Amino acid sequence: MLVSLKEIKNYVNIDGYTANEIADKLTFAGIEVEEVSSLASGTNLVVGHILECEKHPDSDHLHILKVDLGPKYGVEQIVCGAPNARKDLKVIVARVGAKLPGGEIKKGVIRGVESNGMCCSLLELGVDAKSLSEKQTKGIEELPSDAVTGNEDVLGYLGLDDEVLNLKILANRPDLLSIYNVAREIAAILDLKANIPTHEVKETFKTDLVVGSSTSRCSQFSGREIKGIKIKESPKFMKEALTAMGVRSISNIVDIGNYVMLLTGQPLHMYDADKLEKAELIAKDDYQGDFVALDEKSYKVIPNDIVITTNNKPMCLGGVMGSLACAVDSNTTRIYIEAASFDGASIRHTSNRLGLVSESSQRFVKGTNHNQSEQVINFASYLIKEYCEGKEFSNIVKYQKEEEKLNELKCSVKRINNRLGTSFTKEDIHNVLARLSFGVKEINNDEFIVKIPEFRLDVTCEADISEEVIRILGFDNVKSELPQLDSKVGGYTLRQSRLREIREYLLLNGLDECLTYSLLSKANAEKFNLLNNEEHYQILNPLTDEREVFRTHILYSLLESASYNTSRQNKDLSLFETSNMVSKASRSEHLAIVLVGNKLNQAYMNKTPYDFYSMKGIVEGIFELLGVEQSRYRFDRYLDEKEELHPGRSAKIIFQNQVIGVFGELHPSQYSKLGLGKTNAVVLEMNLESLLNAKVSISKMSPISKFPTVSRDLALVVDKSVAASEIIKVIKVSGKGIVKEANIFDVYTGIPLLESKKSVAVNITLGKDETLTEKDINEAMDKIKYELSKSLKAELRL
Amino acid sequence: MANENMEKIYQEAQSEIASSESNEKLQELRVKFLAKKSIIMTMLSTLGQLPPEERKTVGQKLNEIKNLITAAIDAKEKELSAKELAKKLQKETIDISLPGRNYNVGGKNPFHVVKDEITDIFLSMGFEVADGPEVETDLYNFELLNIPKDHPARDMQDTFYIDENTLLRTHTSPVQARTMELAKGQPIRIICPGKTYRRDDDDATHSHQFAQIEGLVIDKDINIGHLKATLELFAKKMFGEKREIRLRPSYFPFTEPSVEVDITCANCDGKGCSMCKGTGYIEILGGGMVHPNVLKMNGYDPDQYSGFAFGIGIERVAILRYGIDDIRKFYQNDIRFLRQYKKKA
Repeated sequence: MLVSLKEIKNYVNIDGYTANEIADKLTFAGIEVEEVSSLASGTNLVVGHILECEKHPDSDHLHILKVDLGPKYGVEQIVCGAPNARKDLKVIVARVGAKLPGGEIKKGVIRGVESNGMCCSLLELGVDAKSLSEKQTKGIEELPSDAVTGNEDVLGYLGLDDEVLNLKILANRPDLLSIYNVAREIAAILDLKANIPTHEVKETFKTDLVVGSSTSRCSQFSGREIKGIKIKESPKFMKEALTAMGVRSISNIVDIGNYVMLLTGQPLHMYDADKLEKAELIAKDDYQGDFVALDEKSYKVIPNDIVITTNNKPMCLGGVMGSLACAVDSNTTRIYIEAASFDGASIRHTSNRLGLVSESSQRFVKGTNHNQSEQVINFASYLIKEYCEGKEFSNIVKYQKEEEKLNELKCSVKRINNRLGTSFTKEDIHNVLARLSFGVKEINNDEFIVKIPEFRLDVTCEADISEEVIRILGFDNVKSELPQLDSKVGGYTLRQSRLREIREYLLLNGLDECLTYSLLSKANAEKFNLLNNEEHYQILNPLTDEREVFRTHILYSLLESASYNTSRQNKDLSLFETSNMVSKASRSEHLAIVLVGNKLNQAYMNKTPYDFYSMKGIVEGIFELLGVEQSRYRFDRYLDEKEELHPGRSAKIIFQNQVIGVFGELHPSQYSKLGLGKTNAVVLEMNLESLLNAKVSISKMSPISKFPTVSRDLALVVDKSVAASEIIKVIKVSGKGIVKEANIFDVYTGIPLLESKKSVAVNITLGKDETLTEKDINEAMDKIKYELSKSLKAELRL
Repeated sequence: MANENMEKIYQEAQSEIASSESNEKLQELRVKFLAKKSIIMTMLSTLGQLPPEERKTVGQKLNEIKNLITAAIDAKEKELSAKELAKKLQKETIDISLPGRNYNVGGKNPFHVVKDEITDIFLSMGFEVADGPEVETDLYNFELLNIPKDHPARDMQDTFYIDENTLLRTHTSPVQARTMELAKGQPIRIICPGKTYRRDDDDATHSHQFAQIEGLVIDKDINIGHLKATLELFAKKMFGEKREIRLRPSYFPFTEPSVEVDITCANCDGKGCSMCKGTGYIEILGGGMVHPNVLKMNGYDPDQYSGFAFGIGIERVAILRYGIDDIRKFYQNDIRFLRQYKKKA
């Protein structure tokens, strides 16, 4: 909302305050001022009179002017390129040394001809092109012939000596889309008095106009007939005010509509009464069909759009745009003027659907004051009488739906102070409310009745009143004090702290923690969805098809981050992310890890390529971190059907009889698809839920044996298909009671072994709660060897 | 005669020990001078053949020489070992400027650094961490927060919809309603960090995905002063002891009064600079007193209970703190960016 301070000064005396001071005061009262700007600026300006205008001999568009700058500065020669420069024109001259928004004017020689100054357009003085006509933007400004040559107060003469505040109007204060109400607000903040004028015209006849509504979306409709008007240019003050507030001047009647709206906040509409089939304006919301609007375009109207009809034909898209059929034009002499109240939501739907957003539709969307229509019509009528030669004014006809409106609140000084943490007196509070035009009626020392002014649609409860008090008196009055609350144990839940521990564990192991977007394209949402086939949510109104599905896994996004890095020469990566996944069926915390290239053991001097076992180690580490014993989970081979993981180097993580994770090396076909190039990568997706909630028993200390243990190595040759875990299992089972530990320490394939065989070396630790004898050891080892050869067909190598 | 002989042997031993350069040589000397068949030992064993008056003095002298030679060899041995060790250590010298073996800590996206740190600050103040779904219903995201259908405030937030009643939450505030529902009228002190979504085109300052930390305290007699003090403490811990905050009135449908909270600019200490556009202050968060309608709708009697709520933009705090120039950097995960941020700093 652009607010002209010159206009504000008509209603409240703010002499002594600068524009920036006013802006600060407004901002700290909750009305943010986004910008303070001058309408136009320039020094060394003077009104000039072109005495001579000749073509420049060396140019096809330049003119050499002799310009009279009045008695003080005499006649100067100026070279000017404007097409409309001509003899006898009164113009704005920026003398040598003038500082304009575009720079300083210097004495110059243009194509061999001396030039002492510049004739200006309003654009060159910094006026926004939006409020200028095409003619004004293409040439120098043509001043009226009665402009006084030599007048140095050019900006004042043009009404451009104005400053404009750009207010950011929040949803709760639609009343501030009105200069009158901004003036009231400024007066309240500065503790001054606002003088808002009221106007009346003498009613000279009774109109035949019938107004009404068949829809609840129009709660009020007022109209008046005016005869004998004459369409012409608007008066200077009105043009200036509109220009200052970003509205282009069109004609007196259109300008009056806009001017009244800017001042009062109530949009108006004018109908050419002679173009209507009968004297009737009825609001409806069940019309369906085409509508040709003022902009000469055709729009489809659908039920629930508010239309104003005559004889059931749409004459106006309520609050949005009028019909071409009854538009006011230069021949119009008799009009109906409309001031109505429409339901904001309906207007919003209509204007958004048709792409017709205007100053007027926005005011309805945000909410207008339902109780000022007569006053507004009277104000418009007064201006029409003064500036459109309006001669006859009818009575005002009005339709109004019965509405209950809250206009009184019971408040208490104590409750207000309690909410604010302040110690304002009854007088402080009453005084602030009075400044803001609230009525105050005292009940007792504490309680009072507040009467809400009709333009304040936002105030509905005592909390709102407390806000009024504090925004005027200031938050500096609030006593800053930590709440005295019952002490209780805050902090993380077990689940939350486990998640944090897992993240810290990965960070401390050198993995980098990432953050990726939740929205993916449909196609990408299917890729590397290793864990679940749960149905994902799809966005109804996506911005692009790149982001239209709410992901149910992290891995693909993390692979994209990996690819982003490898294409920037960051070749060795260990990335992870934990994030909450939402599908139609469930919500769960996930972890994804991507390892690419090498683990740098000692910078680049010693590196090992990441492989299946790198990831397996991380997974085992996480289980260990949370105190989940090895016996409670296992790894099974993962059967990949989509060629995403290497079929021989991937696994499922099974915990509590559920697959909670999948990991493995990438399938060779994936590297180029993912843009990872020639490298190696291992990936993981894991649903952490069951782990975060797992029960872990407190481990009682198990005594460490006082008796020495004995270590023996075994080397066996087995089929390649025999898993290491099976060998360990056979050793542990057959050596129950004496085998304390069994660890694989080498696996070998190749010559001299057969292609189908591998050699496995195991270290076995034996021990008992007494000293072992040679006999104990030999018996145990014999049994182990026997069982290995029996159940795994293992050959012993010596 | 014997004396001269002994002196000669001693001199010979001394010079040979002094000139020997290896332990092997010293071993030889030990044999030569001190073994059973050495001259000294032979002389000692044949002392009995001497006349009794000479026996004592010669014996003493021989023992003295023997001890001196033993000591000399021992000393020389020590000296040689020390030399040898020094030589060995010299040989073993490495280039200490080469990199150490890798026990590096990973880089932590500054988003997470800030999120964890803010969380820790509030945990230390006795808050708990609440949680809510990112795919929300219209009811929690809007209705229960005093934003009924067609409320103009809905225009402030462009929403991704799943269907008419399901959407991606536009703020973390629905967790307020969810927490109140669970707490069933009991006092509340929670924060909730979480991702939020708005239908904005991504550019340097806008992101369709961003994150907030919601805070909510409900109890008897809570007022704005409590909000102010809590946020003051937060601002000082997060941005430094010298930071001050100020409250500015604002509007959110679910708080009344509503405030924007500004913090003194860390760049210029509140004097005014380009970063704070000359104002000396930078806006960091919004908050206010929980609107009585919100309390009522979520099962609290506004005459009995009051509360405050606030919302902090996580990326915004990180951007201010680290001078990050483009919000998209958080989501690109360039490791050269991530590794600038470790656990804290």
